[in-house]
Amino acid sequence: MTAPAPSSALAPAAALEAVPPRRSPTARFLRRAGRNPSFMIGATVLAIIVAMALFAPLITAYDPYDQDIARRLIPPVWHAKGSWEHWLGTDKLGRDYFARLVYGARISLLIGIATVVVSGLIGTALGVAGGYFGGRVDMAIGYVVNVRLALPVVLIALAAAALVGSSLETVILVLGLLLWDRFAVVARSATMQVAHADYIAAARAIGCSTRRIVLSEVMPNILNPLIVVATLEMAHAILLEAALSFLGLGVQPPLPSWGLMIAEGKQFMFFSAWVIAIPGVALASLVLAINLLGDGLRDVTAPENRS
Amino acid sequence: MLLYILRRFGVALSVALTVSIVAFLLLHLSGDLALAIAGPEASPAQVEQVRIQYGLDKPLAVQYLDWLAGALHFDFGRSFYFRETVAALVAERMPVTMTLGAIALGLALLVAIPLGVVAAVNRGGWIDRAALVFCVLGQAIPTFWLGLTLILVFAVNLRWLPVSGNATWAHFVMPAIALGWYAVPAVMRLTRNGMLDVLASDYIRTARAKGLRWPTVLFKHALRNAVVPVVALAAVQFGFMLGGSIVVEAVFSMHGLGHLAWEAIGRKDFPVVQAIVLLLASIYIGLTFLADLINAWLDPRIRVA
Amino acid sequence: MVAIERGSLWVLAAAMALGLPGAALAGKANDTLVYASDSEPENISPYHNNVREGVIIARHAWETLVHRNPKTGAYEPYLATSWTWVDPVTLDLDLRKGVTFHDGSPFTADDVVFTFNYVLTPEAKVVTKQNVSWMASTEKLDDYKVRIKLKGPFPAALEYLAGPTPIFPAAYFKKVGLDGFAKAPVGTGPYRITSVDSGKGVKLEKSKTYWKGSPLGDVAIGKLEFRVIPDGDTRMAELMTGGVDWIWRVPTDQAKQLESVPNVTVLAAETMRVGFLQFDAIGRSDSNTPLKNEKVRQAISHAIDRKAMVDNLVRGGARVMNSACFIDQTGCTDEGVPRYAYDPAKAKALLAEAGYPNGFDIEFYAYRERDYAEAVIGYLRAVGIRAKLNYLKYGALRELNRAGKVPIYYQTWGSFSVGDASAFTGVWFKGDEDDMSRDASIKALLDKADTTIDLAERKKTYQEALSAIAAKAYLFPLFSYSTNYAFSSDLAFAAQPDEMPRFYAARWK
Repeated sequence: MTAPAPSSALAPAAALEAVPPRRSPTARFLRRAGRNPSFMIGATVLAIIVAMALFAPLITAYDPYDQDIARRLIPPVWHAKGSWEHWLGTDKLGRDYFARLVYGARISLLIGIATVVVSGLIGTALGVAGGYFGGRVDMAIGYVVNVRLALPVVLIALAAAALVGSSLETVILVLGLLLWDRFAVVARSATMQVAHADYIAAARAIGCSTRRIVLSEVMPNILNPLIVVATLEMAHAILLEAALSFLGLGVQPPLPSWGLMIAEGKQFMFFSAWVIAIPGVALASLVLAINLLGDGLRDVTAPENRS
Repeated sequence: MLLYILRRFGVALSVALTVSIVAFLLLHLSGDLALAIAGPEASPAQVEQVRIQYGLDKPLAVQYLDWLAGALHFDFGRSFYFRETVAALVAERMPVTMTLGAIALGLALLVAIPLGVVAAVNRGGWIDRAALVFCVLGQAIPTFWLGLTLILVFAVNLRWLPVSGNATWAHFVMPAIALGWYAVPAVMRLTRNGMLDVLASDYIRTARAKGLRWPTVLFKHALRNAVVPVVALAAVQFGFMLGGSIVVEAVFSMHGLGHLAWEAIGRKDFPVVQAIVLLLASIYIGLTFLADLINAWLDPRIRVA
Repeated sequence: MVAIERGSLWVLAAAMALGLPGAALAGKANDTLVYASDSEPENISPYHNNVREGVIIARHAWETLVHRNPKTGAYEPYLATSWTWVDPVTLDLDLRKGVTFHDGSPFTADDVVFTFNYVLTPEAKVVTKQNVSWMASTEKLDDYKVRIKLKGPFPAALEYLAGPTPIFPAAYFKKVGLDGFAKAPVGTGPYRITSVDSGKGVKLEKSKTYWKGSPLGDVAIGKLEFRVIPDGDTRMAELMTGGVDWIWRVPTDQAKQLESVPNVTVLAAETMRVGFLQFDAIGRSDSNTPLKNEKVRQAISHAIDRKAMVDNLVRGGARVMNSACFIDQTGCTDEGVPRYAYDPAKAKALLAEAGYPNGFDIEFYAYRERDYAEAVIGYLRAVGIRAKLNYLKYGALRELNRAGKVPIYYQTWGSFSVGDASAFTGVWFKGDEDDMSRDASIKALLDKADTTIDLAERKKTYQEALSAIAAKAYLFPLFSYSTNYAFSSDLAFAAQPDEMPRFYAARWK
């Protein structure tokens, strides 16, 4: 469903194109980024959403949990019956919709970031180990990746949430434990490419420890493609959370997450479409921004001749 | 080649075995099975009797082997909730999900491949950009929203298609679009990149230099080569779709495997969940194996590696 | 697997262009009433499920000994033609002759004796034991006469014989067993079940052999089809496009909007279903749960504005309930029963007194009307109780609660459409699996009330029990339900407060 390109070895993970030259100067990065429209649009939208999340209490005076069921389902201001008091209207329990949206940004971003941190750590560790050591280690890790890919994500996530009870923590943990495959595949290929580079051989020759080589020589050189994967997986995680909420096993109400707001607004789809459209547009912009940023990043960090 | 096939087959088989262990543990993590089978009103003695009758007193490894032996004969035990065998439930639902996945894949390919070709031919042009924007935008919409929007437009307003169920072919159209939607970008990108590579290759240049007509070159020579990896990707995408049909089936109330799995999870009917996980995983493994073979057959370099 | 060839895709495209209606078998033209609901009975045998969808099928495919006239409330002959109380624990019934089951076998005393004795056995695993546990045994007096022996005096006996106690065909059931019966059920009712598909639905057809002169009247509609459509919006879309003819439990917001849709009729009616909160008062979920504290339970009861919920969320004839039963049930009363006015300040004070000045965190469970559950959670939050919603399917929640793992939940009960208070209190307070408070003194009071013949005395005892329940705040009743029905304007359908749609009485206009 929401799964984009599979990260099987068959689909050449696009991020692989982006093996960067060593330590590109920040200035050059910024210059190239400034000329990349998709990077700029993505970064701007994402910055706005992050600012919303960080400064939520300053942006709205309403408490996202305060309900007033006598004043429920007030339409947004552009409607004939709307008013500036609740400019995005109120939800089915009379909670200020803008406040829920603003605080919901926190939850959605938290899910996206935390999931990517968990899955990124797992995937990168596996991928780097496989790529660096090769041989049997690589085979074993490739096998683990295959097992993971064979498990249907939504089904396993639902079953796991049903087993341990659904909550914000469960969603993050379950998605984090499931969405690491692409990190592993990309980290592995990128590591393999640098593992045979001269400077690695040199580091080995002067007796650097494996840990040191991996952390200070390999990691910086595979970071860029991993960041691209991270943006894609972040969008993926946020969408999956929405799907889990729709199926009744996502974040627990009354927490305001965008996915949950869409899932709950669904019942107003036919007659009061704004209830689902507002968080829907917000979520779509967030996912879009992250995707654009990822695409832009890929172009910006790619070697000169590729872009 | 034979050695390569055998090796891939060995890997596929061992992955399948590992998945079966995961599926088996899923059921056993769900709580005391004897209690679940006996029902909440059963006395402790009855629970013990069930435990022995179902072999739940044996070591976990033995239970796993028993279960696996059953699973190989398509015997997954009985559903906790419905008074039916899991195999019967699954067999009844399977064709719906398979049909849905097949149509979804067909539609996705039908849209994505031409789009990819056009994008590649007009590289950097507005069609290329528009196609990429469409891909990114399309990915940003949650499936269930897309599904409900389709219902709203095509079923409620235009009255072209039935809303839900799986009685006729017409019932499969909207769910297939909702499911296939998310496979379009991947296929399109692969087609586009493949086309770009092929178009830049020597033999296409030669073909053009020989004065062959452009459409002939494009479709007869270039596309034929560019589409090859897409076939392999399609096999894998099909596996993903089967796993992802859970949301689509819920929205359109289709009685397929995904719907069954969702209902079973809600009712903690884990024998059913376990069987579906194993089944979907096996199909996926089978398809990737197939994809590997196709790739190897088409690209001899892989075989050697 | 379906091979996708160019040909089949063209067929699809053509179907899209022509707008083929698909297999729309619903509606007047096909004389098939398709009705949709979200859940399905886990087992179609009426004794083996406790969902409303199961009750609907039971009332169409099976018959009971006694019929309760929904208009007058009087008990009328049905499968029994007459009955006499030999003494307070002995009921003799004469059975109707000439009635046949859908498989052609005649209905006799053997069927009644078998059914009632079977459901009392532990192996039968009847889901709602209170429906039958008042009977001790049933014996055959002759082919068309039976005697039911009661465990004790039970004034509501006829009400139960008119509701959740349908008669099974003895010979057929013995032959096929419960599993076989669930797949191919047989009854005597006005409709014959022609197919049962788990997860999909049930099809019924007018029985050709149905007896003349039944109190149900003449059956008009030829076929019924029950479709399980889990998603409420999908159900609504199906109704709007004529895919189904009848839906219910439409949220009030949508019902108001549906009124403006042509060819759809909307009907709101109060039902016997009562929504309530129930608490883990004896600490089964956690021995330190705050809910063990009476003051905490009372605080929760003061925290919730039921009137605002009724006026804004439920609407359509729903009423605030103050007693642990539906107010129109025999024996149910809220006079003299302690009431909890909406008073958040008092709720906070009670919480502070109980030792929770800063409130507490708690897991909250619900299985239907998520909005109501969330509104309750919102009210709890306002007094400092941070509840997190766990929304489960009914069966899963029931099991979880019976296993003692639920601290607090939003529950509803429709009393199996039985118009007697025992059908409510009996389930939640008589020490069975669903009883969360397990208070022996209340059980004793209810035992007495359930078996008292004298009506005034009986009511007084219920009043005492209900007052004790309210005083200890074991169960906090919220409101009666209003159900919004929406159906095709081709259909003449009347709703009854017992939440039992009677399709046998419906007809096409």
